[in-house]
This record gives sequence, structure tokens and C-alpha cells, in this order.
Amino acid sequence: MENKSDALLRKMLKKWVNRQHPPDNGRARLLWEAAHISRNNIDLTVILFRPQFISSSSSNDWPPKFFSWINENSIQFGIQARII
Amino acid sequence: MPKGAEEKRVISDSELALSLQAGSLEALGVLYDRHRGLVFRTALAITGDAEAAADLMHDVFLRLHRFAAHIDPQRPLEPWLYRMTTNLSYTWVKRRQRWFHPFEDMADWLAGTRKDTPAYQAEMDDSWRQVQQAVSSLPLPHRGVVVLYYVNDLSLQEISEILDIPVGTVKSRLHYGRQALKQSLGLLAGEIFPELQYEFT
Repeated sequence: MENKSDALLRKMLKKWVNRQHPPDNGRARLLWEAAHISRNNIDLTVILFRPQFISSSSSNDWPPKFFSWINENSIQFGIQARII
Repeated sequence: MPKGAEEKRVISDSELALSLQAGSLEALGVLYDRHRGLVFRTALAITGDAEAAADLMHDVFLRLHRFAAHIDPQRPLEPWLYRMTTNLSYTWVKRRQRWFHPFEDMADWLAGTRKDTPAYQAEMDDSWRQVQQAVSSLPLPHRGVVVLYYVNDLSLQEISEILDIPVGTVKSRLHYGRQALKQSLGLLAGEIFPELQYEFT
């Protein structure tokens, strides 16, 4: 059984912590950021296994194709800075 | 229709965790509303800083969203939240001790011992500041156990599972933490908490 000083300590600590409350805008901030992260969550396997990147016609033509694909799809994936 | 049937069904944490794994932000919002108090209180008690506690709370729920796929919906969510909150709070305290204390001391010195000014004194109620200082002066491992036990009402077994330490270690940390707190606050209790003192005498 808890003694008096323990009970006092418990009450004291709870009162101290309960004086402050989480911010009111916390929920909106969290959901906004979570939504932002979800949009930017690019699955790289989509890029790597696209047929145009595994073409065996030339070993030198994949970089331009890769970057043009990134530029074409950047808006879709929410990429802020486009690769030039 | 019976009165009870009209009441809205409460969605369980495990159902919400499953929805979260499917990418539902609404589920994240409900979990936030349900558990934010627990996370904020724990972070605040360990860090002693309301602003940091708000940031850490944000970080905990963001990680819940990010690592939802790794969470077992069949298990209770609260231990995961407590574990994440204590870990992030420990990291925050360690970083602050390492990097910011020297700069804070210098800033106070340059500003002419800001902590002695009437404005600062008015900003922070003296009696509660003493409680905060007493908790903050505990070594981090003792502080975590004391907070989970006294502020969150968790059992020794629950604390042991959350912090991943033996129950005996929890007991000893709690013992030393409790003794140190009583030593710091015991003499002050009569002055700063007359209403509490009255209840127990």
C-alpha cells in the first residue's frame, strides 16, 4: 500500500504536469506533415523496373531517359525540386 | 431503440492501427486525439520543457504514421507510445546537456543573469519551478522510471516491459529516484503546497 509521502509525491507530480497542455494546432500540423510525407514516398522500384530503363539497345542512353522520366513524373510524386 | 445502441461505437486501437497501415490519415487523427495527453505528459515530465514536449509529441505520432507497417495491431498500442516517447525524450535531454547548456549559460551571463530578473521570476511560478528542478536533477534512467510510475500510474511490470529492463532494476531506480525527490521536495512541501499538505495531515 502506498504511504502518505508517496501519495503526496504522486499528486504533486501530476499537478505539475497537468498545468500544461498540448498545443491546439498539433493535430492539424501532424496531419499536414503526414500527408506531405505520404505524397513524397516514392517507390523506387517503379523507376528501376520501368521497361525504358532496362533497354539493352545502348548503354549510354539511359541517363537522359531517366532524367526526363523524373521530370515528367515529378509533379505526380510531389517532388519539389526538379532535376535538370 | 435502447439508449446504449444509440451511442457511437468506439473504434479500438487495433482497428485504427490496421487503418493506419492502409494509409488512413483519419485513423492517425483519432489515435492522436486519444493518446496525445499520455505522450505530452510523459515528454513534459522527462524534459521539463513544454515546447520540447510538444515537438516530441509531434515526432512520436509522425513515427507512428511512418512505421505503422511494423506495428502489431493485435498488441496494445500504449506501450509502443510510451517506449517511443521515453526514447525520444532521453535523446532530447542528452543532446541538450551536451550542446545547449554551455550556450545557455553564456547567454544568461551576457544578458546579465537573466534568471535573476523579476520578469523571469514572474514568468515561472516559483513553487512549480522547484518541482521541475527536483525532477530534472534526477539521473535520466531514474527520471524515466519515476515519471512512468507516478505520472502515468504504470505498474513495475509494465515499466519493465516498456523500458526493456528487469523488474529488479525498475524497483531500484524507483527507490533511488523516490528518495532523491523526497529529499529535494520534502522540506519545501509545507511552504509550496499548503493545500496538498492539508489533505495528508
